[in-house]
Amino acid sequence: MITLKSDLYDIYLSLRFELTKHMRRKRLLIVGAIAILVPLLIGYLGYYASDFYTVEILASSSLGFITLLVIIAGAMFAGDAISGEIAKKTGLLLFPTPQKRFSIIAGKYIAALTATIFVVSIYYVILTIQIIHLFGAGELSIALAKSYLIAILFAGSIVSLFYFFSSLLKGTTAPSLIGFFFILMILPIFSGILMLCDIDPWFIVTTQAGLITQVFGVSGMMGEQVQLSFGSGIAVMIVYALAFFFTGAFIASRKNME
Amino acid sequence: MEYAIQTENLVKRYSRPLNVKQRGGAFTALDEVSLQIEKGTVVGYLGPNGAGKTTTIKILAKLITPTSGRAYINGIDVTDSSQEVLRSVGMLIEVPGTYDYLTPHEMLYYFGMVHRIGKKNIDRRIEETLQLVDLLDWEHKKIGTFSTGMQRRVALAKAVLHRPEILILDEPVLGLDPKGIRDVRELIRRFKSEGMTVFLSSHLLGEVSEVCDEVIFLDKGKVIESDGMDDIAKTTVFESVKVRFSRPLTSDELESIRSIKLASSVEMTDSTVRIQLAPEPESIYQVLRELVALNFEIISYNPEGKGLEDYYISIMGN
Repeated sequence: MITLKSDLYDIYLSLRFELTKHMRRKRLLIVGAIAILVPLLIGYLGYYASDFYTVEILASSSLGFITLLVIIAGAMFAGDAISGEIAKKTGLLLFPTPQKRFSIIAGKYIAALTATIFVVSIYYVILTIQIIHLFGAGELSIALAKSYLIAILFAGSIVSLFYFFSSLLKGTTAPSLIGFFFILMILPIFSGILMLCDIDPWFIVTTQAGLITQVFGVSGMMGEQVQLSFGSGIAVMIVYALAFFFTGAFIASRKNME
Repeated sequence: MEYAIQTENLVKRYSRPLNVKQRGGAFTALDEVSLQIEKGTVVGYLGPNGAGKTTTIKILAKLITPTSGRAYINGIDVTDSSQEVLRSVGMLIEVPGTYDYLTPHEMLYYFGMVHRIGKKNIDRRIEETLQLVDLLDWEHKKIGTFSTGMQRRVALAKAVLHRPEILILDEPVLGLDPKGIRDVRELIRRFKSEGMTVFLSSHLLGEVSEVCDEVIFLDKGKVIESDGMDDIAKTTVFESVKVRFSRPLTSDELESIRSIKLASSVEMTDSTVRIQLAPEPESIYQVLRELVALNFEIISYNPEGKGLEDYYISIMGN
């Protein structure tokens, strides 16, 4: 019991330390600024440029960007979480301490996830304010909440993917680049090939990310041609988040600092 | 007897080189290394680059796992136990990276909390430690703006922040200026007087000879020799001593030095005199004692010849 309490405290310390680092490195500020500016630009430019602007059009255009924002945030907050400590040799300070390696890496993951969820939440807050401002509070629907839930789960799976690459690969930039390549190219190409073969790519997380806009009855950036189900989307994202987090944590906890 | 640090037949083999500088295939970084470091002693771990010093330390730090053998800290098997074993240990390993964007206070706060120093004491402890490494004025400045030597001091501060029972230092004076080197030497002496065990890996013989009680020589992953500094000193025979006086000596004064029994020849350059010594272990202090007895005003003296360096070369070869 004492050990568990101590381990949880170490996870909390690691989480706090990581968030401090994200703030001091201005990463949180940069991604946070993107999360504020992009929906403002997309929303208001679209509203004043179009005569037939609806909540659905605003959602499809604005939330189409949320997948990219999640990927950028994942790369910024989780891309070098493990590999950076080894490549920059700061691990020589961090790891020989009286705390389990898992506590350190779990704290790092939670910090990356917290920071990503924070910027996603900012994005949705701005969008909500825009909807109220442009269309009135009556236009707010349950679809927005569903979309937010999917976006949060998508953030979990993307952070886990970057975290996995950070544990697996060496260097500070390689895990982020490979992560980008994997999420933005490999998975969509694979999804496309499956569709050509008449196989439903429901198990591809980027395909399921289409739910973020599809809950409004419109298409977004990814998964346009597939009719997605809310339940399977949630399940796929949770599986990705857990599987890649635990695999990444397993690799990171066994990594030697030669 | 329970040792502060102990290893039993420690072996570390690699199937491939660790970096491009290393050629060939598989190699053995540590080959049956057995060490016994008594509590409260300062022990030097000497050897050329690539001898296996850092590998030993990384095993003690749980950063790498040995191929076989055991390593103990305070009698607890490091290879088999949780990280908790490191609570009583402070470490400075290689040249660690620094969190450039943080201040020493922010960095040390985290490590202090990890060592359970407690919120009430943490700020005071950070200040004391930064004072110790002469960085108090830089407590709230970003580490990225520091010189290499200052960054080394931050890493040293992290190692001693929690006042560990055992301090493991890997090349601690690397990158430090002469004042920094002297400060580290003084710190080690201070820690020793407080009963701390210090395990000091270095290839700088001067540093080791100044502060250590015992020296372990390592080469190509094997312990070649281990000896107490007193025993090494007994085998040390100085060939000559350079003595600097307050003024150039007169010919009569030089003659009086030449008449000292264990001084075989004398040469003077300005106010410095090199005295060639008879090959006896007691020559150095007998000659110096005579010089003092003859009322010479000595500014400094520098023994030359067979010191720890020669002892090292006699063991390791060239």
